[in-house]
Amino acid sequence: MMIELDHATKYYGALAAVEDVSFSVRPGEYFALLGPNGAGKTTIVRMLLDFTRPTSGTLSIGGLPSTQAEARSGVGYLAENFRIPPFLSGWHYLERSADLLNLGRTDTTDQCRRMVELIGMQGREHSLAGTYSKGMLQRLALGGALLGRPRLLILDEPTSGLDPIGIREVRELLERLKQDGMTILLNSHLLSEVEKLCDTAAIINHGRLIVKDAISAIAGHGDTLEDVFVRLVRG
Amino acid sequence: MSGMQAVPPILKICRYTIIDHVRQKSFIVMLLIGAAFVFFTRSCYHGNYMVNGQMLGAWTVAESIAKMSFHTIAFTMMFLAALLAVRAFSRDRDYGMQACILSKPITRGQYVTGKVLGLWALAFFCMFILHAMVFLIMALQAKVFMPAFLAASLLCSLNVLVVVMGALVLSLSMSDFVAFMAVMAITVISFVADGIHTLHQSQMLQAIIQPHGTGPQSDVTWRTVIYYLWPKISELEITAASLIDHGWLRGWGALYPLANILAYCLIAAALLLWRFRREEIL
Repeated sequence: MMIELDHATKYYGALAAVEDVSFSVRPGEYFALLGPNGAGKTTIVRMLLDFTRPTSGTLSIGGLPSTQAEARSGVGYLAENFRIPPFLSGWHYLERSADLLNLGRTDTTDQCRRMVELIGMQGREHSLAGTYSKGMLQRLALGGALLGRPRLLILDEPTSGLDPIGIREVRELLERLKQDGMTILLNSHLLSEVEKLCDTAAIINHGRLIVKDAISAIAGHGDTLEDVFVRLVRG
Repeated sequence: MSGMQAVPPILKICRYTIIDHVRQKSFIVMLLIGAAFVFFTRSCYHGNYMVNGQMLGAWTVAESIAKMSFHTIAFTMMFLAALLAVRAFSRDRDYGMQACILSKPITRGQYVTGKVLGLWALAFFCMFILHAMVFLIMALQAKVFMPAFLAASLLCSLNVLVVVMGALVLSLSMSDFVAFMAVMAITVISFVADGIHTLHQSQMLQAIIQPHGTGPQSDVTWRTVIYYLWPKISELEITAASLIDHGWLRGWGALYPLANILAYCLIAAALLLWRFRREEIL
């Protein structure tokens, strides 16, 4: 399994952010994590990346416990509120990210150049990040996550701040990556996009896993994913 | 890796820490002010100084001015190091760099070690440059060569290290401003305590404050224990400055501040690693 959560629980004081959640994601699967704000989706992502430790239960990536740094090799991550230092240019950010992945000088330059083209930032890559729009920052974040050709991509609201054209571009890019066998864990509120892109979804509410199944099974019988989501979350 | 040995992540984080701080205008301004201060002291080496009607020799004048400059630079650099260190983690967090770095196969220990080394190297480099300027001005203006001056600067770098680690540890548990004030308070108390201790040791003062016929008090009090266990930042600086006078450390007593600061460095490193391992990455 690419990702495995086994009874993962996270408490902040008395508040249960995630409670007894278990699921797994197969290699090459496009997996959506759905839920209303504050449901615990981002906490699951943060536990996977070892940004916060679970109160109980275990999480693993590629068979390695998420607490080991090696588990994060081959993992690309796009943060929900992506920020970069305003004194860095997009190019420097990509270069730094590639350097931290030990890509080597030639590979770093090649991949950064390719990524600038892929995210459509040609001509602006050397401007300071402080001058970028939210959409440009989001595309830069995606570029940074794709460096090093990761086997697993963890995307926390990747289309946040993008216009409809930008959203479609991201979806088309993710569709292309699917053909390369990449695994994706996607946190998103855009249920229509999730429905078009993902194979499987898990719906979380109040930290608990309500349902985990193939999208076709969840949203069958003439209902859209949105209809089912609203019904399940409202109880 | 195209045949090249990969640079360890610690060194990469160290390099980026240095680059990011050097980019700051405030840092450059502070360094330039320091350099200007040293530059303006050059005229002091030419003056004719008389004490009790006796003209002081060039060596004595150079030594006195050099030692004053040495202490001023060393203390200012501790101040600067604390200022840089207290903001180091929060800056990385605010700019999203902590999440960027730690989402890669880099351990928290490597990140923290890289940060400490970067801040230490930067502050020490600045201190060494300013000390080297004093050394060169002495050599060129007063024709006085004091190689031990640079060795003293190296020894003082341990003070910078303990301040950096102390500031980093405290910044994880309190606001940056409070952490800065706490580190500076520890440093200032070290200087004040050493000053009081030196006064107490002086025979003249003892003769004044002690009743006639009673010997010096030798009881070990809690104040004495605290005094000896307190970070010996001031004493290490004085020990380093004594290198300028003698060119070597005098006696085993001179090793105590060194051992004390090294012990504090180890304690701060252990606390820093333990505390950062529990830190929530945002």
